Amino acid sequence: MRVAFVGKGGAGKSSLAGTFARVLARTGDRVLALDSDPMPGMAFSLGVEQSDAGLPDEAVEEYEAEGSLRYRLRAGLSGTDAVEKYAVRGPDGVHFLQLGKARGARWNNTRQHVGYQRVMDDLPDEGWSVVGDLPGGTRQPFFTWGRYAETFLVVVEPTPASMLTGRRLAKLASAPTNPRVVVVANKVRGPHDANRIADRTGLALLGAVPFDPVLGEADRLGRAIIERDPDGPTVEAVRSLVGSLRSETEH
Amino acid sequence: MKIAVVGKGGSGKTTTSAVIARTFAHAGQSTLALDCDTNPNLGISLGIGEEATEQLISVRDAVGAGEEQHATSADDLVERFGVDGPDGVRLAVVSAIQNPEPGCPCCGISPEQMLGQLARPGRVVVADLEAGLGTIMRLHGNPVDVVVVTVEPTAKSLEVGRRAAAAVQEATLGRIVVTANRVRGDEDMARVRAAFAGVDPVMIPDDPAIMDAERRGVAPLDAAPDAPGVRALIGLAELLLDAGGVSG
Repeated sequence: MRVAFVGKGGAGKSSLAGTFARVLARTGDRVLALDSDPMPGMAFSLGVEQSDAGLPDEAVEEYEAEGSLRYRLRAGLSGTDAVEKYAVRGPDGVHFLQLGKARGARWNNTRQHVGYQRVMDDLPDEGWSVVGDLPGGTRQPFFTWGRYAETFLVVVEPTPASMLTGRRLAKLASAPTNPRVVVVANKVRGPHDANRIADRTGLALLGAVPFDPVLGEADRLGRAIIERDPDGPTVEAVRSLVGSLRSETEH
Repeated sequence: MKIAVVGKGGSGKTTTSAVIARTFAHAGQSTLALDCDTNPNLGISLGIGEEATEQLISVRDAVGAGEEQHATSADDLVERFGVDGPDGVRLAVVSAIQNPEPGCPCCGISPEQMLGQLARPGRVVVADLEAGLGTIMRLHGNPVDVVVVTVEPTAKSLEVGRRAAAAVQEATLGRIVVTANRVRGDEDMARVRAAFAGVDPVMIPDDPAIMDAERRGVAPLDAAPDAPGVRALIGLAELLLDAGGVSG
């Protein structure tokens, strides 16, 4: 299973993506959790201690083609090698890779970005499940950054701003690669909220996650919700999301 | 005067920008609210409504679609493609990503370019930037006067805010004002202060009235002007106004 979470900033992408990766790993999948933001985010909800798990410079080499400078993985380094070597091991055996910590005020992340893409392009479908946490907003969801994903989960909360973002993402999803795009209603206070979100985004509803005050506490403490409240409503709802997606993709 | 609002997604940038812009305008300042997010939602928080916000055409799209025949100034573009909001705030969207292949969002009309060109004596520009640091780090040679860094009292948001403030400082981009939204009590305040030693962060109390306004898609200033969270945001705006508002 290869999924990526998108949505407006603050909609709950990282919390759901991190929990999704852990839940999936507990079902026996070998999971690569990906955070393509140079600012730390997903590590907290995964429960990974180290938040800056990027590719080192030496994983990527420069070469020249048609007169311009390009990047590729170092000779002899496959996508699987790179993940085995550089991804941080988290709880439940999750492998965690981040774009890499922003280095200073005017950091140019082209090298890391390209390396990250090459790893994903090279990683075989067989044997890996991938759960990605993409940056918020509409800038970069469906192309380069998220092109590994078979399914995009658009996380939307019941506010007009979040639903408007969901509509924009739904429109952007009509891309050449035509990925599957579904909506996850987050922070809902009843079935009415979830139905309204499906309605207003025009996307198929994969599932709903209830508003959960314990998640706010876990976020304040910097703890993963799956550890703070393993049988609470958020984790329970994410289990349902994993189950729904799995049964849909297997049929 | 140019004010840029930066922070992690969901930390309250847009709500904060809207209250600052309207408070400046209400005080008689000529105020431009510049939505620099490629997923622009500032209109909703300013109070022009969801529908009008969705229909706003970005300056970049207008120019790209050839509606603008001649090379014109940023001022003309804001005049032609912006809209008037409550309290007399002028709202303009720089570049919305509407199509699957919009070209490079770094090329053409950019927030950093607009922000530079729109600054002029007698006007205040409040720029609601895209989450992260991309835009602010491209403001070469054109620092803003104040950078408002918004955070929430969560471990993640404070870490992002701390790094953002350090980067802004390193690039000497202007005075930094840290604003902590959704603060619930002493423990939250202690967390915020610990993350920003030596700074005196502005604390905005967690306020169900703001969440309620967001769920209804209306401006917190219209829905609950006297709610504690909204009053604290107005207080922040007044602080900025006292420090650098434009007189006359």
